[in-house]
Amino acid sequence: MSQNNLSKIIIVAKDEWRYWLRSKLAISVMAIGLLLTLSSVIVTSINMMELSHARHELQEDAEETFVEQPDRHPHRMVHYGHYAFRTPAPLSILDPGIDAYTGNSIFLEGHRQNSAMFADQKQGTALTQLGSLTPAFIVQTLAPLLLILIGYSSVSRERESQTLTYLLSQGTSGNTLILGKGLALLSVIGLILAPLAVAALISLHDGESITAVLAFILGYGLYLSVWALLVLLFSSALSKNSESFTALAFVWILLCVVMPRVASTTAATSVPAAGKLETDFAVIAELRKLGDGHNAADPAFDKLKAELLEKYNVDSIDQLPVNYRGIIASAAEAELTHVLNEFAEQRMQTELSQIHVSRQFGWLSPMVAIRSLSMLVVGTSIETHHRFLREAEALRFEFVQALNKVHVEKLSYQDDMNRNKDAAATQKARVSAENWQVLEDFNFEVDKAKQRMQRSLAAFLQLLLWIVLLVVAIRTIGKRLI
Amino acid sequence: MVTTDLSNALIKADSLCVSIKNKSILKNLSFHVDTGEIYALLGGNGAGKSTTLKTLLGFNTPSSGSVTIEGKEVNQALNFVRGKTAYLPESATLYSHLTARENVNYFLSLADIKKTDDEINQAFDRVALQADARDRHMQTYSKGMRQKTAIALAILREAPIFLLDEPTSGLDPVAIDEFNQLVRELASTGATILMVTHDVYGACQVANRIGLLRDGELVGEFAAAENSRIDTEQVHAAFAQRGTA
Amino acid sequence: MNYFFQQLNREWRFMLRQKYILILLTCTFLISSFSVLSGLNEISQQQQTLERLKAADTVDREAAQKKHHDPGSIAYYSFHLTSSAPSNLAFAALGERDIYPWKHRIKMLALEGQIYESDTQNAELAQAGKIDFVFVLSALSPLLIILLFHDLYASERTSGRHDLLVTTAKSSWALWGARGAIRFISLLLCLMVPFYFGAWLSGTNLSNVVMVSFWSVIYLIFWTILSVYWGKNASSAPRVASGLIGIWVLFAFIIPILGDLTINKLVHSPEGGDIVLTQREAVNDAWDIPKETTMDAFIASYPEWKDHVAMESEFEWKWYYAFQQVGDQTAAPLSQAYRDAAHKKYQLAGIASLLSPPLLLQRVLTRLANTDAVAAFQYEQQIRDFHERLRLFYYPFLFTQQKLGETQLATMPSFEKLTQIQKAELNSNIDTSQ
Repeated sequence: MSQNNLSKIIIVAKDEWRYWLRSKLAISVMAIGLLLTLSSVIVTSINMMELSHARHELQEDAEETFVEQPDRHPHRMVHYGHYAFRTPAPLSILDPGIDAYTGNSIFLEGHRQNSAMFADQKQGTALTQLGSLTPAFIVQTLAPLLLILIGYSSVSRERESQTLTYLLSQGTSGNTLILGKGLALLSVIGLILAPLAVAALISLHDGESITAVLAFILGYGLYLSVWALLVLLFSSALSKNSESFTALAFVWILLCVVMPRVASTTAATSVPAAGKLETDFAVIAELRKLGDGHNAADPAFDKLKAELLEKYNVDSIDQLPVNYRGIIASAAEAELTHVLNEFAEQRMQTELSQIHVSRQFGWLSPMVAIRSLSMLVVGTSIETHHRFLREAEALRFEFVQALNKVHVEKLSYQDDMNRNKDAAATQKARVSAENWQVLEDFNFEVDKAKQRMQRSLAAFLQLLLWIVLLVVAIRTIGKRLI
Repeated sequence: MVTTDLSNALIKADSLCVSIKNKSILKNLSFHVDTGEIYALLGGNGAGKSTTLKTLLGFNTPSSGSVTIEGKEVNQALNFVRGKTAYLPESATLYSHLTARENVNYFLSLADIKKTDDEINQAFDRVALQADARDRHMQTYSKGMRQKTAIALAILREAPIFLLDEPTSGLDPVAIDEFNQLVRELASTGATILMVTHDVYGACQVANRIGLLRDGELVGEFAAAENSRIDTEQVHAAFAQRGTA
Repeated sequence: MNYFFQQLNREWRFMLRQKYILILLTCTFLISSFSVLSGLNEISQQQQTLERLKAADTVDREAAQKKHHDPGSIAYYSFHLTSSAPSNLAFAALGERDIYPWKHRIKMLALEGQIYESDTQNAELAQAGKIDFVFVLSALSPLLIILLFHDLYASERTSGRHDLLVTTAKSSWALWGARGAIRFISLLLCLMVPFYFGAWLSGTNLSNVVMVSFWSVIYLIFWTILSVYWGKNASSAPRVASGLIGIWVLFAFIIPILGDLTINKLVHSPEGGDIVLTQREAVNDAWDIPKETTMDAFIASYPEWKDHVAMESEFEWKWYYAFQQVGDQTAAPLSQAYRDAAHKKYQLAGIASLLSPPLLLQRVLTRLANTDAVAAFQYEQQIRDFHERLRLFYYPFLFTQQKLGETQLATMPSFEKLTQIQKAELNSNIDTSQ
């Protein structure tokens, strides 16, 4: 591009800014947009930081209370259980994603995989169904509207007031004009993204990787560029301001309001997911085959019993050097967990295939693309939640089996069998509280940046494809601009 | 000055004052148009021509004075007035996605007037709109053709009064000639015509009388003598005085 | 009358020639149809799920009751399905059924430990929201109305036709009235016809259909008048539309968001986790404290069993269930405060939604369809009632060693029967109050 051309582009862009600064509509739209972005960044940051802090504390509390429990029968501690809290990712100050829609704590106990409880939405006002004051929502949904409001007339205005012919006759090419207008819109995008970028950089301080931060900003930059290009395309292609506006407003309604919901509805419809309750029946049926770990006399454990007797070369279970009930509990837990994990894994796969369907709509709507991209990069998508579920489950299995090990090794079978005879026997069937130090520290962290980038690759491609197609379309129109 | 029995006048403005957004546009304007007359209100940009026309159509309320059509106060008998007048807007933009015939049909239906296809064709014939254009979308029309369609519509409405807003601006000389002839023909069949224009020569060509409007006031009236035209030089001289006044 | 139809007929034919209006109306019809069809599908999936669950639930409970013979074990191993079936209007207003659970399986253990379990759908899909008829109506239709009506005057003004039209038309009603009416009726039909089809398929009762129609028409008229009025004197269509879309953003996003922030500041709710924690501590501590303490707390609520609390062994089921109940009692104040906070928030949200027509409509329609938070609260209360009946059923067998045989099991309370009784009571109350 020649020096001359570049300076022309800048002149056009400056001129566009002068027009905006003199137009009440453009000024107020920009002011409102900036105000919304800023306040959303501040409100959400404070919210998520509080949540993060609270959950860290709750996690520590839970670990402390567990350790502080008195002497008990070890299996009682299995039922006493423990909690795992999902601490939010550093970047979630900009996109809380599904945080409010999934429970963020899980009660971990023996023989059961509980679901996450207390999703914030349930205790909410139901007022934020259409949109919430998160930077993600504001930039994904409202910022495009803002670009439309200030940009719809960028080229069509020149045409309507017949300055277009004048400009073109003076040797400014159609493409130069469009590039100039595009540059002006790009500067507005920069303005919108500035608060986001600052907040994102602050999250570096909380241990977020620079790659993720840059990818996040880049993603939103690409997304808003798609909208700037759409605005330019319609403004150049249609001859009247009003036509350009109506068309853009309609496109916005379709892409930003309708498509995301069509995507999720289509996903839920095309990949039906059995609820947890329903899979529980299947689990129960499976488990019945395994035997009840509470009942050492369950015939399902006969084989294990025979093996044990043979291994220790004794005739009956009371002669075993280890606590038979503990062994049964441990073995039953292992098998049960295997079955539970299988079903949990199936459920997660179903959810993933649903999400896969809904994310494909990113090819049709840049809004769907940026929505996935944002949550994936931030680490507030379903994948991260699944990993939380898996890690919580690992934690559960680990501490339950550790307690079962205590049961096997530290409690004699005789005492255990007599535990309900009288108060003294109950007292005797306990192990020392020192044994409760089996908990590993649980500290949920967001996935590695590299993995998040890999997941979001498709969404990046979707946005890039939009950009390429729009640029081609605009260039074609720019050549024929009259 | 021409003296006429004012009670017979079809259109009459009497000491008309109109203000828009606290700005006084028409100041004490008085004129009248008689049946069968072609009256041209001549004036430069901002003289108050359009405001006069809009007041006649009932879009502005006079702050004092009156404007009547067939003796009825415009703002008190809007429906009557609108039934009596056919308005021809400056740009004469009808719906470009419809054909001339569809446009005419649409507007006639709005006015609750029923016309047969023959009658419509006759009107088109009268304004000399080419037969092959009548069923084409008006997107393809020239300005002259659009105006012919609008006049055909006005004729079909059978309103006795025509209010024309800058009818010749943007027309080529041939179209202007055709237009002038048409206007004279309409007047000869009894129509009363009030046109506002800034075209001195055009006005002198076609009008029986010319009122010269300056800054919302009538500063002069010129009438044609029997069987002759108004003297262009005289009107032009009066019109050009603006600079020196 | 004939004249009236003539005007409508003219404007109808006129509208058919305007491509962008036709595109807009077609899209409206498609989106509305999509929302209704997916709503019907969702509801039929919910019903099928319930059918399957009911069947499996019965089989499972019968198996448990066959396998175990003492009342304590039977109670321990018997799950009971509770559910809140979708109403016949739910297809149009899926409401909050994707956030609040509508099915639970509970047993006789402490309820506070069970009731917060949720069996909700994919969170990422829930976050995107579903497109149901109520969404199309409340959020989308205002935008469509704005697109249809904002340039009613402005487009005629900018193209210089306005004055000609007004001076030609016999009356302004014949022109703007008929033109507006045709657009309105067309949009209304494009929106509502799919709904009526869905209502017919799912056997929605007439009164609900009438009510939905009534509210829809009122709502659409509101937006139409607003759009027409806003654009009455304007000559720049985009400027009118910008203002109207601004109002829409204000109603749909800004006011609700501000309301949400305010309400969350005003209403303090205990952490849900604390309820479960309290309950769990109480239940677990029971093993370590004297049995009498537990029993005393239990008979404070259920004095009828005070002569039957003596224990012969270190473990007896009656004590086990007594401390489960005491656990619930300990957590009860917290749990009540939690629910009260939710109710309070719902009420305050009602006030906030008075300032936001889209939310008001959503609220009214989801109430009508019984798919809102109130329905979820009611369902939760039903579960609590049922849990109580279940306990009251088992207590005699646990405390007085009565035999729990097949004849007795047959009289075990069922959730379905309970809700039917409650419904009947509610109806008779309405009857007597009339």
